[in-house]
Amino acid sequence: MNTDNSSIEAIELRKSFKVKNREGGILAAKKYSQIEAVKDISFTIQKGDIVGFIGSNGAGKSTTIKMLTGILIPDSGSIRINGLDYRKKRREIMMKIGVVFGQRSVLCWDIPVIESFRLFKDMYYIPNEIYNKNMEMFTDILNLQEYMYKPPRLLSLGQRMKADLAAALIYNPEILFLDEPTIGIDVLAKDRIRDFISQINRERHTTVILTTHDVSDIEALCHKMLVIDRGSLLYDGSLEAMKKSYAIQYGNSQGEEEINLEQIIKHIYEGSFL
Amino acid sequence: MKKYVDHVRIGMKEYLVYPSAVWAKLFSKIIYLYLQFCIWSALFASNSMKHPDLNKADTLRYIVVATIVSTVIECNVIEKVNAQIQSGNIATELIRPIGFKRMLLARHLGDTVIKILCYLVPLIVLVKASVSLPLLCFGQIGLGILSVFLAYGIQFLYSLVIGLLAFWLIVTWPINMFFGAIYKLLSGAWIPVTMFPETLNRINIFLPFRAIYAIPVSILTSSMKVIEIWQSIGVQVMWLVILYILVQIIWRVGRNKLVVQGG
Repeated sequence: MNTDNSSIEAIELRKSFKVKNREGGILAAKKYSQIEAVKDISFTIQKGDIVGFIGSNGAGKSTTIKMLTGILIPDSGSIRINGLDYRKKRREIMMKIGVVFGQRSVLCWDIPVIESFRLFKDMYYIPNEIYNKNMEMFTDILNLQEYMYKPPRLLSLGQRMKADLAAALIYNPEILFLDEPTIGIDVLAKDRIRDFISQINRERHTTVILTTHDVSDIEALCHKMLVIDRGSLLYDGSLEAMKKSYAIQYGNSQGEEEINLEQIIKHIYEGSFL
Repeated sequence: MKKYVDHVRIGMKEYLVYPSAVWAKLFSKIIYLYLQFCIWSALFASNSMKHPDLNKADTLRYIVVATIVSTVIECNVIEKVNAQIQSGNIATELIRPIGFKRMLLARHLGDTVIKILCYLVPLIVLVKASVSLPLLCFGQIGLGILSVFLAYGIQFLYSLVIGLLAFWLIVTWPINMFFGAIYKLLSGAWIPVTMFPETLNRINIFLPFRAIYAIPVSILTSSMKVIEIWQSIGVQVMWLVILYILVQIIWRVGRNKLVVQGG
């Protein structure tokens, strides 16, 4: 096993939820059904990769990400982050991962953003020099100084997302999980965020796992793809290889022009490719 | 250690974000204290209260001290934990290299510091200035304060137990309301427990509520034998241990059940 170069290893992950179905009002008998959100997924992600993790709504992406970040506990299977297991080394892993949820903020809602940063500085034992260097960098690229002293409730969505991204990177995590980081963000801000992510990846060799519904995010950032559908992994490989095999399957019907990734993804979700 | 201090600080700041809310709360507490005082004075004046163990001075003392102490013991951890589990925002706390329960405690301590400064101190000053009757049993004040600390811990753990039930129930406010009513009655926050009928007192022995108000307030206000005081404190320690174990079990089991709501 090649553990020195793999940053995430998922082995036979499974997670199911019990769902209550109430049909016909409160008095109807309760029925429970088991929904298998993730069934038997295994993959390995190498250090320094940017991996696009895609799937239609409800395919099991979020559940998988939540298991990888230690929020949900898998029913079976195991996860290794830098060779460490959540069951034994939870704290150690948490020191090494950064997470951004596009749909929720990790920042304290009512108090200035900078306070949350100071909290993380102590929580992750960040030395002063690294903290200051990072803050400078965030100021340069993400315009942090514009909204640093405001509480998140007063920020625009774009500012909030940048602040969240900065908060996840202030402690130099080795692995960065981004769950729909560009949802609801305007084109310019999106570009900034993407540039920032690829810069971090280049300079720090941070592994990035990105879920998104925005195809341009994937085109701009990802070297590798994981495609999930109905809880199972459909594809695990490079973006290039995926495009190639699509071109082979669909011949030259697209002509010689560049293959449209959105087209490929549509076909995958419809079940006619992969 | 520093990270917990930060959480205490954040707890304080969060509490002070809306100053008008703090003012409103302070006034409501003053009015509530005044109301309690008037009601119990009136009850004794109308002579409808004839209880062998209680006289007017004792009861008023108890009620006033209980109301003042409640400003510190109060705990909104149930609502906080509930809101986090219900909205799924608990996810953002679980990814931190810090214990969730300890973080809650640190934030709660922050709240409490502010509550002491903004409610407890003004109320004490106000009562001192307007009521001539001696409120505390000065010989027992040290143990009384120790007992208040224990009560604070019991209240926190109790709130955590109820709050964490949201792992299974998602919303716990109905239970919370149910227990809230029992709690207000049996803890002795509203009515001195010595007034309870025998059966209620017997039931109360098996519940933790008494240890939150009745015990510390009795130690603070009525002279007791030393052995009695230590027995009461022993009861508090016992509940602290039981609730602590319960929290650990609920956390262990509940963590596996967690469903992060909303995407």
